[in-house]
Amino acid sequence: MISPRWRKALTALMLSLVLIVSACSSQEPSRYSQIQEETSGRNAPAAVADEAVQGSNFNQFFPRSVAGYDIVPYQEKNGFAEYKVNQDGKNVAMLAINDTTGTPAAAKFQNSEMSIAGYPAVEQGQNATAILVNDRFQVKVLSRDPAFTKDDRAAWIEKFDLAGLADLS
Amino acid sequence: MSKPIYELVDQLPTGGITVRALKSLDFIVPGQWQNLVGFDNTIRAVTGETDEALIQQIGERAITLFNDKSEGYQRALWLYQTVDSASGMLGTAALAGRIGQDVSFLGILKHLTPKPEKLQSLDLCVKLVVELVAFCQINGIPGDSIGDFLAALGDYAGESLMRMAALTCFDGLIPLGPSFIDQALSVLKQTSPSELEKNQTFIGVNELIPGSNSSGKLKFITESFESTQGWMSSFVSNNGLTRERVLDNLQKFVDVSKDKADYVGAFLDIYVKYYEHTGIQTLARRLIERSVAEI
Repeated sequence: MISPRWRKALTALMLSLVLIVSACSSQEPSRYSQIQEETSGRNAPAAVADEAVQGSNFNQFFPRSVAGYDIVPYQEKNGFAEYKVNQDGKNVAMLAINDTTGTPAAAKFQNSEMSIAGYPAVEQGQNATAILVNDRFQVKVLSRDPAFTKDDRAAWIEKFDLAGLADLS
Repeated sequence: MSKPIYELVDQLPTGGITVRALKSLDFIVPGQWQNLVGFDNTIRAVTGETDEALIQQIGERAITLFNDKSEGYQRALWLYQTVDSASGMLGTAALAGRIGQDVSFLGILKHLTPKPEKLQSLDLCVKLVVELVAFCQINGIPGDSIGDFLAALGDYAGESLMRMAALTCFDGLIPLGPSFIDQALSVLKQTSPSELEKNQTFIGVNELIPGSNSSGKLKFITESFESTQGWMSSFVSNNGLTRERVLDNLQKFVDVSKDKADYVGAFLDIYVKYYEHTGIQTLARRLIERSVAEI
């Protein structure tokens, strides 16, 4: 016969074991749990606004045939187009245009003091430079090699047909 | 609804038969594939960014894009997963319980049956078409012309190039031998739509192959194979690939016997899930490339 005192102690021990086991088995929530929750339900908002311009409309504004570089089409999605810049077969940069309609991407240009080709510009992280055309279209150049510098990015932004893009609506 | 994309990338294995078999192909595409796993790791490796707030922002955009079904990423994932499991389904029931374990080739040899050449040829063709369809789901049809599209395909690198190396070696050269391209094409041309309908790999991915019926789909598969056979044959000749060389290298990483090439083909078919593994890596990379540009 187990005495009530022992029974109490045993219950406490079992309880703490249960707690330890469940604490170990439950994973820490991911840093992405919240966005997963918000974007995966039946009523989740679309990732790209309905009125966003199709990526195929952006192709004509990308720089082509720049001496010493190959410019290779990479992605063409709803509201987005991207090209690779290769030098001697090696990827050194990416060029992109996207429609910021329905996304918060344009907000970062509001307080920008920098400009490229007359458009508000920002440096983002260590490898990206972007401008905003017509308060709507973001043109971004991203370095994929340390030799492709911030100055190169700014110079490549100017190679886009920015005036043509500004006329797109 | 599939698992969250970040979990899929976080849970990619760092070892096991699939990873070892792919590593054995490094001699063909040196340094192209490092088995990049982990969602945040992939963001850092692709973008070169280290700021945690920026990584969070890129990750959140990638998850949002993946979760929107109309963007095509989930269909691509489904294709990569299905084409692997459908072709491996031919493995006998006796082996079913051992998938995912570290099995020994000789230990299961008696359960393996080489896949008939016709079936293997069809599998190869269907898998190649799945690559094209998944490519379009992920990337759209980039550029303004067919030439642009072919340039985008020809620029395959990293894990995508590794997947094509694996397709060429594991589904072509090893099971079918050096004339696998001609053989696959001739099998394809003798295949009737009703025969195609009975192919397990085709059944798995049928609904996403362009074409209004089996006959239209067969036509699409044949045309796609014809238009990419040039790429595949130069891939074989430029790299001096022979069945012997591939098996020699495979033997260094996976316990298989070189003198039983047919059986090695069947073994790889069941245990090596290279389409799904590298497919998830491709999806993650392209999603991240788009996200860092869009934010």
